[in-house]
Amino acid sequence: MALGDCWKQLSWFYYQYLLVTALYMLEPWERTVFNSLLISVAAMAVYTGYVFMPQHIMAILHYFEVVQ
Amino acid sequence: MTESSANKLLNGDACHRTANGRKASKNGFVKNHCLFQQPHKYRRPREKNQNVTHNSSLYKKPFSESFEETPLLVAVLTYMGYGILTIFGYLRDFLRHWNIEKCHVARERDEQKDFVPLYQDFENFYTRNLYMRIRDNWNRPICSVPGAKMDLVERVSHDYNWTFEHTGKVVKDVINMGSYNYLGFAENTGTCADAAIEATQAYGVGVGSTRCEMGNLDIHEEMEQLVARFLGVESSMAFGMGFATNSMNIPALTGKGCLILSDELNHASLVLGARLSASTIRVFKHNNMQSLEKLLRDAIVHGQPRTHRPWKKILIVVEGIYSMEGSIVRLPEIIALKKRYKAYLYLDEAHSIGALGPNGRGVVDYFGLDPKDVDIMMGTFTKSFGAAGGYIGGKKELIDYLRRHSHSALYATSMSPPVAQQIITSMKIIMGEDGTTLGADRLRQLSENTTYFRRKLREMGFIIYGNDDSPVVPMMLYMPAKIGAFGREMLKRNIGTVVVGFPATPIIESRARFCVSAAHTRETLNTALEAISEVGDLLQLKYSRREQPLPSLGWMSEESLLQD
Repeated sequence: MALGDCWKQLSWFYYQYLLVTALYMLEPWERTVFNSLLISVAAMAVYTGYVFMPQHIMAILHYFEVVQ
Repeated sequence: MTESSANKLLNGDACHRTANGRKASKNGFVKNHCLFQQPHKYRRPREKNQNVTHNSSLYKKPFSESFEETPLLVAVLTYMGYGILTIFGYLRDFLRHWNIEKCHVARERDEQKDFVPLYQDFENFYTRNLYMRIRDNWNRPICSVPGAKMDLVERVSHDYNWTFEHTGKVVKDVINMGSYNYLGFAENTGTCADAAIEATQAYGVGVGSTRCEMGNLDIHEEMEQLVARFLGVESSMAFGMGFATNSMNIPALTGKGCLILSDELNHASLVLGARLSASTIRVFKHNNMQSLEKLLRDAIVHGQPRTHRPWKKILIVVEGIYSMEGSIVRLPEIIALKKRYKAYLYLDEAHSIGALGPNGRGVVDYFGLDPKDVDIMMGTFTKSFGAAGGYIGGKKELIDYLRRHSHSALYATSMSPPVAQQIITSMKIIMGEDGTTLGADRLRQLSENTTYFRRKLREMGFIIYGNDDSPVVPMMLYMPAKIGAFGREMLKRNIGTVVVGFPATPIIESRARFCVSAAHTRETLNTALEAISEVGDLLQLKYSRREQPLPSLGWMSEESLLQD
């Protein structure tokens, strides 16, 4: 039951996303293109963050002289 | 949008002040002895609320209009949506150009590719890439009388709205919230229909000539005298088509050397008529009396553009109800301005005749003014009378002149007899001359329905534009995908609505337009309101940020509203 409600809620959010970005009016292959572009850009941003976050945090702490 | 820019315009003037408080007049600036004083403090209105009438002595009852401002987040998201659609439009055009995908749009043949281009490809970018995707919301074929409920032909499209097929089924009893059926005269039974049948049997359907040759029937004369009596003017003339009434008669009234001051949001027929007449056209901000007064003063002081001769005549062109905004014209102020500056007034009552006023006589009746103050009263029979065509009413000399000089009278076929008979019968019903109270009942039902519908929509949290008394109710949708989604979801719930986008409205202000009718019963309206609320929750359309008054008193508050 909870999974069914969760699925309904997610499905409603996806519908809102389609309406706001006007993907609702596009054909399925256009939606695939847009979604894959968006997911790949987001994935690249997350990966870059994952790779560089420790260096950035060390640099900030070094600047504020918390760690040498 | 209009009000804040009008404020900025006025504040520019307010800055030129000298030490003793009187305005220093430089060359080219007109001294400010205006009839309607501009507000001097810079106020950034949260909403474009025109509740504050600067000249409340001219209005006998409160004039409350509101155009709530677009929420910033919604505006940004709408632009983003249009941006994404534009990018995909370019992509699809590229694919069509390189023949990767089939092109459904009209194109020249291969042999003609070297000639001067026949089709302007880029101009139709919006039509090809945005309109076509949601085209199933418009041009729906109706196969019954467009009364309070109608039947629609079911259509389906297999290639994303480029072509439609009829499935053969009919969607029955769709609640009609889109037809201009304000007094419910769109019916195929009753006295109007019977009288029209008799007229068809007496005269036939076609007339076969123009008004000035052989097409002037006695039924036309009777109708014109009735219309003149209804409006309270000396004489009137009727034409077969409402659009043609405006576009063919304004050129007969003004010409080169005249000035037309037309409202920003005037209908295409008025704009076309003004352009055809070769007069100078100046546009004032929508329903903004300060802007109109400034234009009038500048026109009278400076005269014609290069020669500075006085204008031959100045014609102010306004509409009674603006159908895209739902706003009512500020007629008392315009008449005061017209009398002061000696201009003429052309009032287009397409939507307001029969729908406003205690006796149904239009905006003039609604404000309690004298019909003789309006020089040219124009209107159409399409909306409240259930017929087709337009009329112009005014002084006898004016109408006699129009009979000889109007293009429509000389060249257009005259009105069909059953249509003329429908007008006569419905007008007599509204005036109460047929001996029943049907007209008065319908007028009261329309104003009750309007008040109820608007109040309920406001309470639900939608942004509704316009005056509280206008039967045209525009509800804001803003985002392009919601235009299509709203139309389709409402049809799923068996309600037919009209949705409007660019270019009829500004690009981000797309809306759904409801037309309340006297034929709607309270139950029909409640069904419609429930469905609208459901769709509003599903699509997240309840944008309004105002606090709603507590609905505590229930039946008492409703009664006090109906006492008007």
